[in-house]
Amino acid sequence: MPGVKDLAYYAVHPTQLRSIIQWKVWHNPVHERDESKESESLKRCFHFLAQTSRSFVAVILELHPDILVSVAIFYLVLRGLDTIEDDMTIPLAKKEPILRDFHNIIEQDGWTFTENGPNEKDRQLCVEFNVVIEEYKKLKPTHQAIIKDITKRMGNGMADYVKNAEFGIDDNGVNTVKDYEQYCHYVAGLVGEGCTRLFVEEGKANPALLKRTELHESMGQFLQQVNIIRDIKEDFDDKRRFWPKEIWSKHVDNFEDLFKPENKDKALACSSEMILTALRRADDCLFFLAGIKEQSVFNFCAIPQSMAIATLDACFQNHDIFKRNVKITKGDACQLMLESTQNLQLVCEVFKRYTRKIHKKSNPHDPNFLQISIACGKTEQFIESIFPSQKPPVDEKKNPTNVEEAARLKKEAEESKWETIYMISAVIGTVVFISGIMLVVAWFAGARFDIALGQAKEQLGQLFGSSGSINASAPLDTKPSTDHSEL
Amino acid sequence: MAAGRTPVPSLGHVTVVGGCGFLGSHIVSLIIKRHPSTRISVLDLRTSSNRNASPQVSYHDGDITDLAALKTLFAELKPDVIIHTASPHFHLPAAVHDKVNIEGTKNLLAAAQETGVKAFVYTSSASVILGPETELVNANEDWPMVTGAAQPEYYTTTKAYAETAVLEANRTPTSFLTCAIRPAGIFGEGDVQLLPPIISAFRKGQTKFQVGANDNLFDFTYVENVAYGHLLAAQHLLHTHKILPTVPLDHERVDGEAFFITNGQPVYFWDFARAVWHEAGDRRPLSGVWKLDRDFAMGVGAVLENLFWALGRTPNITRKQVRYSTLNKYHNIDKAKRRLGYAPLVQLDEGVRRGVRWHVENEAKQAQKKDQ
Repeated sequence: MPGVKDLAYYAVHPTQLRSIIQWKVWHNPVHERDESKESESLKRCFHFLAQTSRSFVAVILELHPDILVSVAIFYLVLRGLDTIEDDMTIPLAKKEPILRDFHNIIEQDGWTFTENGPNEKDRQLCVEFNVVIEEYKKLKPTHQAIIKDITKRMGNGMADYVKNAEFGIDDNGVNTVKDYEQYCHYVAGLVGEGCTRLFVEEGKANPALLKRTELHESMGQFLQQVNIIRDIKEDFDDKRRFWPKEIWSKHVDNFEDLFKPENKDKALACSSEMILTALRRADDCLFFLAGIKEQSVFNFCAIPQSMAIATLDACFQNHDIFKRNVKITKGDACQLMLESTQNLQLVCEVFKRYTRKIHKKSNPHDPNFLQISIACGKTEQFIESIFPSQKPPVDEKKNPTNVEEAARLKKEAEESKWETIYMISAVIGTVVFISGIMLVVAWFAGARFDIALGQAKEQLGQLFGSSGSINASAPLDTKPSTDHSEL
Repeated sequence: MAAGRTPVPSLGHVTVVGGCGFLGSHIVSLIIKRHPSTRISVLDLRTSSNRNASPQVSYHDGDITDLAALKTLFAELKPDVIIHTASPHFHLPAAVHDKVNIEGTKNLLAAAQETGVKAFVYTSSASVILGPETELVNANEDWPMVTGAAQPEYYTTTKAYAETAVLEANRTPTSFLTCAIRPAGIFGEGDVQLLPPIISAFRKGQTKFQVGANDNLFDFTYVENVAYGHLLAAQHLLHTHKILPTVPLDHERVDGEAFFITNGQPVYFWDFARAVWHEAGDRRPLSGVWKLDRDFAMGVGAVLENLFWALGRTPNITRKQVRYSTLNKYHNIDKAKRRLGYAPLVQLDEGVRRGVRWHVENEAKQAQKKDQ
């Protein structure tokens, strides 16, 4: 239930409340899972899914039935792998072979793992991992092959990372930007690849996405990097560091200096560089979304991306990220979900909106100021290339393209000008000539122009002077003249 | 693709027309750097400034409006490539633009056609498609030229006519190949039009103003990248010349074509100005900036222009400046990327650093001279 604080917040932020209500009232799931046909073990899997993933469960549950279970199992397999990797209570000698062999383990009926420390939050998933294996084996062989391949590569990548950390090769955490992106590749880029392969396999995405590997890589990288940026304080408290030394060492000497209040400007410059690194991927993410063919898959991919760019904006030039976990508000999240469950154009609008918010906060004295502007411009230009805001203008006036044509047009314009002058003179001349003849004829016939002229003068005088006091006898004078005119 | 590491072929003998100007002198330097075995001759009205010390370069005083003299010179030099960058200053009267941009270019074409030149690269301008009403949003080469009565800048009209003359001369005779480069917002060491007014705005303390919302993207191009575009064009024309009479496929063709060349990194207009100001020493925080509404600034500009017109001077804020600082003006350079293999050699931020440093040092030098 919302607390007093929440109520007060929504009272002064009605648009946020409006978004929440709109989302709750109007959003209908694209597809709904049919629980009646599910086996006990599958129900248990969905239970774990809800427990282990708060951010993904909603979008997974709405996926098209062709891929719903595969994606859920894929998620749980990787979550199991991650739970073992994360657990510092398991010795390396025990951990490494499990990580490297996990793609075979998922095929061993009844395999479970009970040696996680008691504080490991997803411990129960490993304890009952046999249900995941049972459901994995029911999947289409093509889906199994994809999950197995990704699990193998991720397990080995994680084993390498754990080993390096254990032997103190990178006792300071991640060193270069390349290492950082490598780490993100193992934990997120591969997920992007696996999902893309599943989607393409079921005809839910354009097969061209498999050829442009940098696109699904960027999808994973973008999400993971944004998480790493946002969680800086939380990870630091847990004694983990994912921000690469190559970046922070440009701004401070020791990683912990980032958190000291006196280094605020340096910390902000450092976070800007991290955000810039992620932001450069934004256009690829939109490009990827353009290849999705099915609505539920689109929502599944687009919602986390929209949340990610909004989170980047929330973290940008915000020193609070070094003090606490910065989050987007619930109202904004609902608004983003509304906008990310329709079409690509709306998602592009979201990206454009947050890109501009980021750019407007950019500090001109930040070392990466212009680079940030370039990254924002690149995203906007990409959006413009898929949804042009204007068509190339049509050359209606037929502007001359060379000097000869210009001279000819000028000459033509000149000629047509004189033609018009001749034409008008001819008309006026004709009118004058005919009127002249008529007047002459009338004169010969005895017309009295002197009387007509005098009469005209009087009428004019009457028109302008009738209400004035110039000539009081004027009304009398007009009388005889009107008689004349009847002649 | 003209990769940076592979040895770059000689361009033969290149004549750079306007080679003592801002862009021309950078082209000369880049040829020396990238194509060391190329012979260069520079033709300019006066060849006293921006001279390159390299023995590869010879300097020739000459006037491109004098056809007879041009023919004599080209007959003597026998260049393989002409890169024509000469153009009068924007503010000069219309008759000068006619004379230099149109007549001068035609003279160069005629002299080149007669003396067996293989490739002719013309420096046009990205503004040839910019009308008084439109904005350039991701504009490409399909956009029509805006000239004549529709084009408020006579300079731009003459650049457009000259470009057409150059492209129409392509393959007449069949061994004469031409193309045009349309750069946008050139800046760098030695530029007189773009960086100096921005830097002087900082010196006058005007960095606290911003007109408009700063959502408009603008293409600025570091001069060496523009020079690079010209060299790639020359190289491609020479290659096409080599395979004559074979004509390249339509989508690969360089001869007879125009190309936008920019940094490919559009940025928000005021961001560029602020980056320049920062480099020149400005440390004003973003919070200290006053944002003026565009329409309000237009009104102020109109009033000031009329007042100052009576005094015979130009005010600090004009409608033209307001329009430019709130205008979207950026291009799609995919054609140059695909057909010329173009990608900027120098990133925008690096270009700003180099350009501003040069100008600040130059200012100091000028000040010293005055003191003496």
